[in-house]
Amino acid sequence: MASRFAPRLFLRRLRMRRRAQPISSLHEASAESAGVGGDRIFSPSGSWSPPDFHCISRVFFSARPSLLDEGKGPAAIDYPSLLPEEEFHRLADETIHELLENFEEYGDAIQIDDYEVDYGNHVLTLKLGSLGTYVINKQTPNRQIWLSSPVSGPSRFDWDAMSNTWVYRRTKANLFQLLEEEVGQLCGQPISLR
Amino acid sequence: MLSFSGKRLLGLGHRVSAAAVVGRGYHERVVDHYDNPRNVGSFDKNDSSVGTGLVGAPACGDVMKLQIRVDEESGKIVDACFKTFGCGSAIASSSVATEWVKGKKMEEVLSIKNTEIAKHLSLPPVKLHCSMLAEDAIKAAVKDYEAKKAKHLGNAEAAQVEKA
Repeated sequence: MASRFAPRLFLRRLRMRRRAQPISSLHEASAESAGVGGDRIFSPSGSWSPPDFHCISRVFFSARPSLLDEGKGPAAIDYPSLLPEEEFHRLADETIHELLENFEEYGDAIQIDDYEVDYGNHVLTLKLGSLGTYVINKQTPNRQIWLSSPVSGPSRFDWDAMSNTWVYRRTKANLFQLLEEEVGQLCGQPISLR
Repeated sequence: MLSFSGKRLLGLGHRVSAAAVVGRGYHERVVDHYDNPRNVGSFDKNDSSVGTGLVGAPACGDVMKLQIRVDEESGKIVDACFKTFGCGSAIASSSVATEWVKGKKMEEVLSIKNTEIAKHLSLPPVKLHCSMLAEDAIKAAVKDYEAKKAKHLGNAEAAQVEKA
């Protein structure tokens, strides 16, 4: 299938390589300064003071990031037990690039008005005209991939090493499977993302 | 003719600019909640009738604290307040959440969906996550109140057993 030289795809790949500058240093800096459990910013009297990023050290509770999704309270981010950041970026970037390529090929194959795939700053946007827009991006502090879908709304996927996939803990949905089902139904033609 | 079209332009000018803003900017409801947020404040978190929901993470850019005051007898939420650190959509979502929970029973508010909040505020795709956080904040506040109530009852029972 890839024997035909696809100039658009080639140009996009060039652009992607240039754009994919390592931003892990930036994430590191923000994680260092802002890695704080929720309770620390709120004083017992309830007075509100904006978090002073300069003096907040890296404090965390021994709670797993999944607690965030289960709404169990403050944002405890347990950095040591999280997927290492580099590993996360590698996995997430790989996933998002795979999605990007597949969406582009799919767009070439089907006829949908205003079908547009856009990728910039590690944010993948899939516009399906009047059918809606998908936004897929990395949420590095939580080591998650966030999806915004016009069908199922927002969801947050964690990496499941056991199944080698991204899974939304609340619904046990698999990222690729969810997108395949939804996009396939919306556009009327099956799509394979794996 | 010229003055007529001039007047029309003036009259429509406000609406045209609002429409232009809707294309790329915040919906007017979001701006309204941002400019005039409802129920900003704090209750005493140790008060037994207060449930506190704290969700989000500063590292992610959004933290919401939503508190409810529940009338024990009726199980209704009589008051609510919030404090949010985050974008305009997050502030508006939590502000709407506090408006919607007031006067409702706790079981009722658990059925408030993020999609309803998002629709009410015409949130763009990237901001749907803010509405989900608001839904989570409501659930967390209710959960906290129930946990406190259970603990309170547990303590009362223990005290009674001791007396006996």
